[in-house]
Amino acid sequence: MANPKEARDSAGPAPAGAATAAPPPPADTVSCTIDGVPVTVPKGTRIIEAAEIAGVGISHYCYHPGLSAPAMCRQCLVEVQGMPKLQPACVTTVADGQVVLTESDRSRAARESNLEFYLLNHPLDCPICDKAGECKLQDFTHAEGRSHGRSVEPKRVLNQDDFGGAVLYEGDRCILCTRCVRFMREVAGNDALCVVQRGHRSVIDTFFEQGLEGDLWASNIVDICPVGALLSKDFLHKARVWDLDKEPSICPNCSQGCNITIETRDNLVARLRPRANSDVNSYWMCDVGRYGYDWFNRGNVPTGTLGNADTIGGGPNPTGRVEQPMVRDRTGRLRAASWQEAVRALVERLTALRGRGGVALVSPMFANEDAGLAARLLEVLGGGERLYRSEMAAEEVVCPGFPRLARRRELAANGRGLSAMGFRRVGDDSGAGALDALDVTGKLLLVLGDDLADSGESFGAGAGLFVYLGAFPGAAERNADFILPVTYFSEQEGTFTNLEGRVQRFWPALEPPPLARPAWQVLGVVLAGLEDAPAPASAASAFLRLGQLHDAFGGLSYDQLGARGALLNDPVRLAADSRR
Amino acid sequence: MMGNGATGATGATGGTTPLQGGNPGWAGERGEFTQLSEADVRGSEYVGRRPANGGVGGAVSSMPYMLPEKDPNAPLFEGPYAERLQKILARYPDRQGALHPVLNMAEELHGHLTPQALSRVAEVLGLAPAYVRGMATFYTMYNRAPVGRYFVQVCTNVACNLCGGDAVLQAFLAETGTEPGETTPDGLFTVMEVECLGACGFPTAVQVNSRYFENVEPGDVPEIVRQLRAGEKSTDAGDGGAN
Amino acid sequence: MAYPYRHEKETRVLSEHFGDPVARTLDGYRKRGGYQALARAIEMGRDAVIDEVKASGLRGRGGAGFPTGVKWSFMPREKKGPHYLVINADESEPGAFKDRELLRWTPHQMIEGALIGAYAIQAEHVYIYCRGEFFEPAQVVARAIEEAYNAGIAGRNVLGTGVAIDVTLHLGAGAYICGEETAQLNSLEGRRGQPRIKPPFPAVMGAFGRPTTINNVETVSAVPHIINRGSAWYKGFGTEKSAGTKLYNVSGHVVRRGNFEFPLGFPMHELIYDVCGGIRDGRQLKAVIPGGSSVPILRADECDIDLDYESVIAAGSMLGTASVIVMDDRTCMVKQVRRMVDFYTHESCGQCTPCREGTAWLGKILRRIEEGQGTEADLDLLLDLSANMTGTTICVLSDSAAAPVVSSIAKFKDEYLGHIHDGACPVAAVAVA
Repeated sequence: MANPKEARDSAGPAPAGAATAAPPPPADTVSCTIDGVPVTVPKGTRIIEAAEIAGVGISHYCYHPGLSAPAMCRQCLVEVQGMPKLQPACVTTVADGQVVLTESDRSRAARESNLEFYLLNHPLDCPICDKAGECKLQDFTHAEGRSHGRSVEPKRVLNQDDFGGAVLYEGDRCILCTRCVRFMREVAGNDALCVVQRGHRSVIDTFFEQGLEGDLWASNIVDICPVGALLSKDFLHKARVWDLDKEPSICPNCSQGCNITIETRDNLVARLRPRANSDVNSYWMCDVGRYGYDWFNRGNVPTGTLGNADTIGGGPNPTGRVEQPMVRDRTGRLRAASWQEAVRALVERLTALRGRGGVALVSPMFANEDAGLAARLLEVLGGGERLYRSEMAAEEVVCPGFPRLARRRELAANGRGLSAMGFRRVGDDSGAGALDALDVTGKLLLVLGDDLADSGESFGAGAGLFVYLGAFPGAAERNADFILPVTYFSEQEGTFTNLEGRVQRFWPALEPPPLARPAWQVLGVVLAGLEDAPAPASAASAFLRLGQLHDAFGGLSYDQLGARGALLNDPVRLAADSRR
Repeated sequence: MMGNGATGATGATGGTTPLQGGNPGWAGERGEFTQLSEADVRGSEYVGRRPANGGVGGAVSSMPYMLPEKDPNAPLFEGPYAERLQKILARYPDRQGALHPVLNMAEELHGHLTPQALSRVAEVLGLAPAYVRGMATFYTMYNRAPVGRYFVQVCTNVACNLCGGDAVLQAFLAETGTEPGETTPDGLFTVMEVECLGACGFPTAVQVNSRYFENVEPGDVPEIVRQLRAGEKSTDAGDGGAN
Repeated sequence: MAYPYRHEKETRVLSEHFGDPVARTLDGYRKRGGYQALARAIEMGRDAVIDEVKASGLRGRGGAGFPTGVKWSFMPREKKGPHYLVINADESEPGAFKDRELLRWTPHQMIEGALIGAYAIQAEHVYIYCRGEFFEPAQVVARAIEEAYNAGIAGRNVLGTGVAIDVTLHLGAGAYICGEETAQLNSLEGRRGQPRIKPPFPAVMGAFGRPTTINNVETVSAVPHIINRGSAWYKGFGTEKSAGTKLYNVSGHVVRRGNFEFPLGFPMHELIYDVCGGIRDGRQLKAVIPGGSSVPILRADECDIDLDYESVIAAGSMLGTASVIVMDDRTCMVKQVRRMVDFYTHESCGQCTPCREGTAWLGKILRRIEEGQGTEADLDLLLDLSANMTGTTICVLSDSAAAPVVSSIAKFKDEYLGHIHDGACPVAAVAVA
């Protein structure tokens, strides 16, 4: 089955953007009214899509814009004037002059009745259901359902079923919309789920003991399940969804740049979920990315305990994270310093090194803004090697139903962005190596984020100045002259450039340790002491600065990137990158 | 009949002649096919015994859906069955189209569809095992658990029900001493209720393996069970239904 | 030769050879004029065949009554790939048992009609979708197909004309819904037998994604006769809008059950009281379901009607498959309606919510009423649910489940009230087993 969403996307912004785009030639469009709202859409647009453009919501379960539409849930039945029966809005195409009534007595009655049918065997166990709060059955029933059930009959009771992988199935809650079955077939390309039996005995199941284990895409079915039938083992009873704080972000776990939402509770990541972007990941993300969030939490402690007087100013640090700037004193000991002290001392040392150049080793898990100013600092000092190390997977795994999406070989979120700024990848595919070969004698060694886990005892010892910006001091503690606490991508605003060359924004989702600062801010302040450039006051202005420094980013701005991102000025074809 | 099933001969009134002899089980024996033998009605001689390889291509997917001899471990798609598989595949534009006749073959040999058989069918047809499971469980004739040598399915739908289908079902259950769907300890009988068999003019219709018994009344049931037990009636239907 | 009973008033066209074992063989069929129509049809040409069938007024005998020639004309005239003809032999409507007789007594008649149809719509392959339970009739058809291939009637060179038409018998595996034509196509393709959303219609995208026509066994069995004797002759039977003869399959509480062939428009009263010998055991008629369990029930006083498509609709029901289920005055309507609803519950494919959930709910309420645990409010609930299940689903199985509930409450409300108030069946004293 062709992916209808993909077909829609390949036609460019229409029809989703039809409302705002200039009207296409009249021959290709049809006009109708939906609940009195006139709307003009391309021919072949379905009522449910046209209604969205018109600002009319039509409740639905089986329809999902990324999947085929079986028109079987019957929740989206609407009255189309002149047609004797109610029509499923998800498959009925808009005709010229059509009058659609979603709020007519017949339409409303059909929805109310359908919801009553759904609740017949539904356990109404919302208080213990992970989906409560974002459940479409709950939402639509609350909006339009009957206030009292009329059934006195016993309900169907089923056991929880482990679908393998990261997914559990609660058959009692299932409304048999088959989104999950269709996702596995049409998008994951792995027919691992089926409806077994028929009629009211139907349930979703796998092939006996063979389940979803090993499938890279399976957890998307938990997201698209409109009710609490499919549960994530990882998120099981972890949080009520209304307690979650949600911020849009970019998955950092490979170079695909899937758009995600980071959902946190008490300053800890509870789950990641994909955000729709038809240029990058459609509605989906892979399970490796989805569950690879533990490291965002590393060094974070729940709100409330963070900021406790005991942990600030030299108290016990339970996480090992750098909590304040550290400067090596004359005795060779690292000593805590205020930011003001540290920056002043650093500018002084850097000024002395002017003209010597050096080496910048930047982690590709850091933002374009961070890396860009690191590169600038090196340039101001007289230039030198810009390097990064990154992990590569053994192979690329393409999403069969949406081939633009893949788990990429390049596992670093921003390798492409660093390349665009003249950084060169060194080391091996495990993200290690190449450190011993660096010649930094008498020069600046600037390390941003790289954990230096494989560095030798004397790494950086001979450098003219060793500056380490990171969250964990790690190996840098041995020889670094400065250790400056910076924020993770998840704690700051910024951009990543994905493998395709698409620059995409992310927003702060977690609260950093009180004294950690974004690297672009630290470097900006330091640079202001070295050259005649004001320190950028915001990530947006740091990004504009990047545009002045690197043609690839020229002319781009946060406003322009918007929610979908924009391509670099020197896009390298995705295919060439991924098939090298 | 009509709640008076004990005598088995009372139903014949009006235009039909009384029951001849005490050998119940098909419409003819109610005197309705006055000059025809059972073989004439069933067409047994015309059909003859069909070869295990399925015979001519157009008829290849019409083999019995269940043999009395069931071996859940019998190898699939070997010997004449391999030949039949090839003939089946030739009848459909894609391999998925062959799913029904190929599942039929598995059930014919095994008596029910085991996970291993579903898996093997999926492999042969290049389909996902879960897909095959979903498809097979939609259809009630694909047994998911073993059934007895004689799988007795009694129609209790409206036309038979009006004429005592429920009582016939009860009679079979009583005679075999089982609950619906349960198999007798000797492995001979599994009795179940079934939806309309499409023999509404000959109530109550009872299907035993591949063969229909018609006009069955509760009083006929002991004799039918006795005959089956004694192996006097073939339900193989691979031989065209002849005795 | 009596099978099982031949009434002098019958007009036997399709059923002429019922009960004649020789007629089912190829030789026997040929001696009785078989396969002349096929040769003649190929001589006439496709368009002429379709015109002839259109002119005959033949309507689909599977229940919907759609004009067959018109259906054939929906197929693309310009062939861009395979076309298919599917013969619907999935007879499973409770009350219907006509196709089974056609299959087992006159398999060649059906094959000939199918080949003519396939020729007319340029189908290169005929699939005969026969319900799996019909194993014995299927064996007869299988043998007939074998004979047809061996005699050069089916295959690469039909009757030496160069026309190529394959015939394949395909057995279902137990699903009433596969009688619905798009569900049948899904089943034929090796899928779950779930009805498809239309459009696209089968004539555009049917079996295996190709243009397909689905015809009932009885429909195609009439075709050789129309080609042999002309559309005018066929149209001479029946009424203006319901032309031709029809197999009336009568079951239930009549003296003589069976298949009886009459021109459409035959009076129901005459069918029950004369042809079928009246009600068994001297009882009184209580109700009739005139077209298989999916159509509304008629009370005894509504049964003085002619059995053609239009007249039965005028009486508030439908002719359907002309499967007349007769109920006498000992029949508990609540029980029978509950049994029918149980059937639809069992057979619902489960795609559409109102049907999947509604059929089971109706059944549970009806069972409570039947067992004396119902309330009067349950009747309103049944009617409301039935309304909510009607016209809201992909196919009409849901509507079919609701129809007997609505019509029985309208017509036999006292019986429901009796169960509700007295906790027992008012006709229990004389109830059937």
